Amino acid sequence: MSKYDYVPEPALVKGNHDFASLTRLVTDINLRPTPKGWYLAMIGANALLGILGISVGYLIWEGTGIWGLNNPVGWGWAIINFVWWVGIGHAGTLISAVLFLFRQDWRTAINRFAEAMTIFAVMCAGVFPAIHVGRIWAIYWVFPVPNQMDMWPNFNSPLLWDVFAVSTYFTVSLLFWYVGLVPDLATIRDRATSKIRKIAYGIFSLGWIGSNRHWWNYEKAYMVLAGLATPLVLSVHTIVSFDFAVSLIPGWHTTIFPPYFVAGAIFSGFAMVLTLMIVARKIYGMKDIMTDDHMEKMNIVIMVTGSMVGFAYMMEFFIAWYSGVEYEQAIFILRATGPYAWAYWAMMTCNVLSPQFFWIKKLRRSVGFTFFISIVVNIGMWFERMVITVTSLANDYLPSSWDYYSPTIWDVLTYVGTFGLFFTMFLLFLRFLPMIALAEVKMVIPQADPHNYDEETQEYHAPKIEVPTPKPVEA
Amino acid sequence: MSEVKQNTYWKSLNELAKNQEYQKFVEREFPENATELTDGFSRRGFLAIMGSAVLLASCDFARRPVQKILPYSKQPEDIVPGNPLFYASAMPFQGSLTGLVVENHEGRPTKVEGNEMHPASKGGTSIFHQASVLGMYDPDRSKKVLRKGTDSTTDDFIAFANEHFSDTNKRIAFISEASSSPTLSGLKTEALRKFRNASWVTYEPFGESNALEGTQKAFGRRVRAHYDFSKANVFVSLNDDVLNGTHPNSVEYGKQLSAARKVTSTSHSMNRIYAVENGYSVTGSYADHRLRLKASEIEAFAHALAAALSSRVSGLSAFSGHTNQFSSHEWISVLADELTANQGASAVSASHAHSPNAHAVVAAINTALGNDGKTVHYLAVPHLDEESTSAFANTVQEMKSGNIDTVVLFGTNPVFTAQNHDFESALSNVEEVIHLSDYVDETSQKASWHINRAFYLEAWGDGHSFGGIRSVIQPQIQPLYNGLSDIEVLNIIVNGSMTSGYELVQNTFKGIYGSGFKSKWIDLLHDGVDTNSGFAKVNVSLSGNFRPDTSRDNAISGMEVVVKADSTLYDGRFANIAWLQELPDPMTKITWDNVALMSATTAKQLGVENEDVVEITSNGKTVKIAAWIQPGHADNSITLTVGYGREGIGRVANRYIDYTTGGVDTYPLAGNELFAEATVSKTGDTYEIACVQDHHSLEGRDMYRAATLKEYQSNPDYASFKYVHTYPVPGMKEAAEKGEDVPISLFDEQTFPDSEPQWGMAIDLNSCFGCGVCVIACQSENNIPVIGKKEVKRGREMHWIRTDRYYVGEDANEPMTAHQPVPCMQCELAPCEQVCPVAATTHSADGMNQMTYNRCIGTRYCANNCPYKVRRFNFFNFPKEFLSTGAEPDIIQMAMNPEVTVRFRGVMEKCTYCVQRVNRAKIEAKIETGSPKPADGAVKTACQQACPADAIYFGDLTDKNSEVAKMKRNERNYQMLEELNTRPRTSYIAKLRNPNPALA
Repeated sequence: MSKYDYVPEPALVKGNHDFASLTRLVTDINLRPTPKGWYLAMIGANALLGILGISVGYLIWEGTGIWGLNNPVGWGWAIINFVWWVGIGHAGTLISAVLFLFRQDWRTAINRFAEAMTIFAVMCAGVFPAIHVGRIWAIYWVFPVPNQMDMWPNFNSPLLWDVFAVSTYFTVSLLFWYVGLVPDLATIRDRATSKIRKIAYGIFSLGWIGSNRHWWNYEKAYMVLAGLATPLVLSVHTIVSFDFAVSLIPGWHTTIFPPYFVAGAIFSGFAMVLTLMIVARKIYGMKDIMTDDHMEKMNIVIMVTGSMVGFAYMMEFFIAWYSGVEYEQAIFILRATGPYAWAYWAMMTCNVLSPQFFWIKKLRRSVGFTFFISIVVNIGMWFERMVITVTSLANDYLPSSWDYYSPTIWDVLTYVGTFGLFFTMFLLFLRFLPMIALAEVKMVIPQADPHNYDEETQEYHAPKIEVPTPKPVEA
Repeated sequence: MSEVKQNTYWKSLNELAKNQEYQKFVEREFPENATELTDGFSRRGFLAIMGSAVLLASCDFARRPVQKILPYSKQPEDIVPGNPLFYASAMPFQGSLTGLVVENHEGRPTKVEGNEMHPASKGGTSIFHQASVLGMYDPDRSKKVLRKGTDSTTDDFIAFANEHFSDTNKRIAFISEASSSPTLSGLKTEALRKFRNASWVTYEPFGESNALEGTQKAFGRRVRAHYDFSKANVFVSLNDDVLNGTHPNSVEYGKQLSAARKVTSTSHSMNRIYAVENGYSVTGSYADHRLRLKASEIEAFAHALAAALSSRVSGLSAFSGHTNQFSSHEWISVLADELTANQGASAVSASHAHSPNAHAVVAAINTALGNDGKTVHYLAVPHLDEESTSAFANTVQEMKSGNIDTVVLFGTNPVFTAQNHDFESALSNVEEVIHLSDYVDETSQKASWHINRAFYLEAWGDGHSFGGIRSVIQPQIQPLYNGLSDIEVLNIIVNGSMTSGYELVQNTFKGIYGSGFKSKWIDLLHDGVDTNSGFAKVNVSLSGNFRPDTSRDNAISGMEVVVKADSTLYDGRFANIAWLQELPDPMTKITWDNVALMSATTAKQLGVENEDVVEITSNGKTVKIAAWIQPGHADNSITLTVGYGREGIGRVANRYIDYTTGGVDTYPLAGNELFAEATVSKTGDTYEIACVQDHHSLEGRDMYRAATLKEYQSNPDYASFKYVHTYPVPGMKEAAEKGEDVPISLFDEQTFPDSEPQWGMAIDLNSCFGCGVCVIACQSENNIPVIGKKEVKRGREMHWIRTDRYYVGEDANEPMTAHQPVPCMQCELAPCEQVCPVAATTHSADGMNQMTYNRCIGTRYCANNCPYKVRRFNFFNFPKEFLSTGAEPDIIQMAMNPEVTVRFRGVMEKCTYCVQRVNRAKIEAKIETGSPKPADGAVKTACQQACPADAIYFGDLTDKNSEVAKMKRNERNYQMLEELNTRPRTSYIAKLRNPNPALA
């Protein structure tokens, strides 16, 4: 009938799982006794979190002078890290909301995971704008709190827009994540044997009993939140980019920033999801759900967004030349040849060159190579933020004010410390919450489509799926 | 005596009570092994406070003469709490006074300004005058009399003096720093009359001795050459940095030279300056033509110039036919022609440090050119009679031979500054050494009596300006530490009892004024200057037997080392004043250290780069010091400056155990001559230097615009954006279509009502020579903290106004210099205001970009978005750190201006156009006239007031006749980064150069 042969999608879940085995696969992690490895990892993460605490404490005690900032370079690692973490936080919402709206069912394997990463990354990001100010005790002045002096924040300032953008994004992401969690929390509640678990999961599953009405409400809410979250994917990094684009500093003052930042954010976010996923699926034996197919699809996204970022880099150069503005031209030449050229070429190599390897199918399906590139991309994206933030400030209009910026140990420790926050949260997530959106995955497994009716041929037959030999599932 | 003896400055009630515990505390104040000395961190904390302070708790400041203390139950006349009083005074420096007006808040001087009634300085000051306020409040100043290193009292000294000097046959050597005080002069005469075997010698390490001997050689008379550059069309400087604050008459010369370069229309002319020098001096940077020669070649150059002139003008026959290596130099004929064409309107000068022969040659040239009495006046200066290097050397020799019993030193510090005479070992042969000084310095440490000296702001004194204008030094405060002045100490020695300086000075002036004393004295105190005074002008003629010493044609063939006074510390006497340590050198922009300056070529030969430590050996002495490339420096020549590498002076001056701060003592290389042969080698070590400017090229950018006078005359609008860029300012075309005269803007523009004054500033780049006095004046006025070398190295300097210095030109060895002071531009469309999330920086109705410290949360976004990079951030809490160092916070707090908030850490700050002065003037104007617009000139910013070049114009732009409005209408007026449409209220008047076509 059709002039094209129907090529069915490969199965999204491998291993011939049925609903029960999937439930066991995912929720046993939360229900069985805590493994020793988890404790070891938690100790490591908590040590880093302690470093964050010490760094922030010392910062507040002593002042921003402990960082490497200087006169032309008023923003350094704190802002670089902020943008970097926010960028990483983009993958979750993109995967869960945008791909949901586009009915990309493969998202179900990773959306829970990615959303959790998003929330924790935004938490890490949020640390920096709060602590980088000189007088942290007055930070609440950025909120429009009614006061007797009738003194409002300056609504012209992109930093204020940032406050709203990031907090909105965090709130919506958190709600979206939580709504998706409710049916799975109920599953754990139902399987839990200890009283504390029953109560705790019982409270957070909001009395879910899987009734038709619950499902109806759930799906509507999920749809609405996906709709709300979708524009936020674009808006957050757009507004973060305004911190730079709205200023008049050469290399910052450019209209390409919003799309370029969003592409870069998705790029780095996907890379981070891959980094975590490859490790987690190995440790927790989730290869049947988080398959190599998922990895390949994400690698394609990385390749596309990486190329977009590369295109943006070239456009920046072109526009700098085309604009005829000497300061704009100078900063781009200085980025490539000046005191920070090492950072610039690190960025170019990591962000533009490395994703191009994913044109090769074998490499996109190679777990080891993907893991390597995912790390490289995140290093590259960190350097991108550094190149943007530091070079423009260090070499702006008046050559007399040019200065070199280098971080202090406290800059480094604060950054390292946010990994402590991130991994602490992530380990708690892995331990206590289902890392796979169980209810959603169950909807997309072959077993969820049992009627075996092909609409095109109007025949009943077994789905053309190659199912590997079933393996016994360990309890 | 008794009234001075008591400690009038009490810090706490405990001290008033003088209990034992407090006494112990006072003893402990600066314990010998204070740990902070090795601790860089708390050192920074201390340094911070040298410029900043906490809680200006008013009760701590109470300083009143003990016997006259009264509550304000009846308000004393003239004192309105909160309103400062201004008293005229004068500051002595190298024996010359500069007229000052001192701002006095409730009995404590906080700021010095130039005295505009002074005919020489005309309101200008140098960095040393501006920084003297901090010098007085320096807690490291000597606080007590020391007898062989242990505590003593003034009374003990008086008792000692009575006994010791009762024997009038004592062989006494009085060694004084240069002083023009007639009172001291009178006492000196008395002393020499009383003590038959006494001698008096004036010693200044960078004094005028050679110049005086030069005139002796040329004219047969020791006279001072006093130039009048206002009448000179051509000025040739032979290594003479007359514009640098280190020159005793820099302010007057700065006023004259810059006034002769004021050009406000194409019909004006300007002078032409030639500089022949080894290092790159401030004067060299101001010159139209500059020739770099080794310092040892300059005399040969002078000979060649005189020889060339001998065929053009009469009176130089002694040189006719003389040839040397410079005879065929391009400059010689050009200069000879130029000077010949400007006979009677030219001036040639040589650095005081050059040999007597060089000064004699220069004097002969000036005389032959008919400049005497026109651009050069020779003055008979009585107090200079004792200033002689050879007399000093003789005295030291006598000391060594054991022919001196007692040495009395006034202020001068020869153990440190006269190392070439080995003064230290000479002291050991002397029975009693009495040393009066501000600090327990190197000489005090060797003296048997150290007497803490009263600062000029604390004690009565008198003296003459460089040209002879007489002033009285009025104290502004009782001596903080009961110090004695020079005249009081000399009087004790001569008369055996304490007489107050006030009486001594009054007695002198009673003698001068006779019957009219009473009214004249009051006028003198009020005006601070006696305009009917001056040194006698002497008519001179070249001695018939004058012969130049042509053997001095022979320059040092290899490497020479030249030791000069430091641009910010002078001979080291200002080393403990943190403002000066942190003031970037006018040329190198280095703070906190001295370096070995050399040309790029020489550095390449030696294989060194900036911060590489080199070992310099000369006359058997060796110094290790960091190298620094000075573009434009003469090859095979190394310039060192002195005053650093101190030990035991104070916490700011001292070099530290780790040798990362404090610089290097270079006096061991200072010989009897300005220059000496040296060998230089690389050591392989490096030493960090804190330089505030890393980049020295304009990168072809247009923030500094310059043209020659000729170009200006043919293209008056050479500085306009359109002329520079060939297209109009972006947004102007669209604005013109809408009938507006400023470029279109995205933002709603604030309107600035004409009912308010609209403040603006114009900076004449043609006047500025980059001395840096604006920086210190601003620091003093606005309580700007000092942050220390480490923080400067990290790029956190706090100065609200900076002087950018660029090198211009193709050849790295022959650059021209561009000095550009950059304060806040007070943009009408300020980029900083748009981005502050909490609206902490906003605009006032009178057009000022204001910073509300209390509202600032310190995001630093404003500083990032400032294209001029004038905003300064408080990265640390300097005041708090200071308090933890255990110093005496209340002393330094007294230097703070109570009208300016002391900023806490975490807030942004920047130039305010001295808003406190503006608002006071507005309030006064409103009270008097009902309008908030002060008359033009009624309000001067601190930088503007201090500037010796009158480069800064400030005033109300709504007043079309104001000076600033006129300057802004000048075709040379331009805005920095005009294309950004920030509409700066501060603009620049483009630079002009006046090159000689023959040398172009």
